Amino acid sequence: MKILAITACPTGIAHTYMAAESLERAGARLGHQVKVETQGAMGIENRITAQDLEGADAVILACDIPVQGRERFDGIPNILEVPVQLAIKNPAELFARLQ
Amino acid sequence: MRAVLQNLKRYLLCGVSYVIPFVACGGILIAFSIALVPMTATGPDFSHAPTLKLLLEIGSAAFALVVPVLAGYIAFGMADRPGLVPGFVGGFVANAVGAGFLGGIIAGLLAGGAVLLLKRLPVSRMLRPIMPILVIPVCSSVAVGLLMYGLLGAPIRELMVLMAHALRTLGTGNQVILGLVLGAMIAFDMGGPVNKTAFFFGVAMIKEGNVAVMGACAAAICIPPLGLGLATLLAPGRWSTQERESGLAALAMGAIGITEGAIPFAAARPLRVIPTIMGGSALGAALAMLGGVGDHAPHGGLIVLPVVDHRLWYVLSILAGTLVVAIVSNFARTPEAP
Repeated sequence: MKILAITACPTGIAHTYMAAESLERAGARLGHQVKVETQGAMGIENRITAQDLEGADAVILACDIPVQGRERFDGIPNILEVPVQLAIKNPAELFARLQ
Repeated sequence: MRAVLQNLKRYLLCGVSYVIPFVACGGILIAFSIALVPMTATGPDFSHAPTLKLLLEIGSAAFALVVPVLAGYIAFGMADRPGLVPGFVGGFVANAVGAGFLGGIIAGLLAGGAVLLLKRLPVSRMLRPIMPILVIPVCSSVAVGLLMYGLLGAPIRELMVLMAHALRTLGTGNQVILGLVLGAMIAFDMGGPVNKTAFFFGVAMIKEGNVAVMGACAAAICIPPLGLGLATLLAPGRWSTQERESGLAALAMGAIGITEGAIPFAAARPLRVIPTIMGGSALGAALAMLGGVGDHAPHGGLIVLPVVDHRLWYVLSILAGTLVVAIVSNFARTPEAP
């Protein structure tokens, strides 16, 4: 599956990036195509582009604060919203929930 | 080069879009409170209206945030979240050194630039987490603050002394020229150092018994917001919804003599808007001089009408300048939706 994700935590210096890494790693292991945008203290990095959105099957929002640019995902039915912690601790379970 | 300019416009618009409600909130509160108290020769009299005085102060608080918010969100537009701290700090310093909204634009761009440079520093994985919350805010704020105080603060003070001196030498010999100069100065930076110099010159002249100088200033003060507000009413199709709303607020502020109502327009397109309003205000001020308008209060706009000499000329001068600004800005605008 082609999966997009955004991670964001209130401080935006540690968990945001840990969650991103863990999602990317688990996704690759499970054979998904994953792109993770981080909305941390540095601002938006690894931004999800229009090209990324094309043909995307599902979205994971691992965020403890409101996400910027959420409307980009209008039209993608499979959107999973979870706390950042879950993406760090058990990313495989999140991918399983998307199936 | 074109790309840089395109981006520059986007950064400015980002700052403007956040600052508009601050200008409207502060402007409307100040205008409302001033409009409801008697206008006297010493300015609006708040001695019997403690509640209105409070509203005035709340409005002034919102106004004090205009330059920092403008600078902060210009930097945000350029460099995302890390731009906010140096932008706000730089904007606050711009206020402190009296650099006005043009100083705020400079502060915002400096802040954004500083953060973009700092973001490029190669840092080890260990240090990465402290970059956005410690290293970048501290270093960029120090850099922007030093530049604002050092490069802008002292020269602005000297410039103001120099301009005040020049105005005195220009004297009241040729009233029309003095009017043109004062009008252009009032409109140039709307509350910034050039505007303040002209305004304080007018106030000083009242004390010396010459009310004509303040008369010219008073007409010039309200022309930029009235003109731009009128422009949005005359050709609504050429302006965005947001601009039409700022236009209404600008009309209210203009009537009460708050030039700052024009800032959202000027900050978005400085090179186009500032010359236009300078022309309109210069015309209005010169006409006021010709008509022998005098203003006994250290304040401008239609609100001072009770303490103005030669009221018909006063209103006519304002009307002329306002129409010029409105018509020229509508013609100068390409109908593209921004």
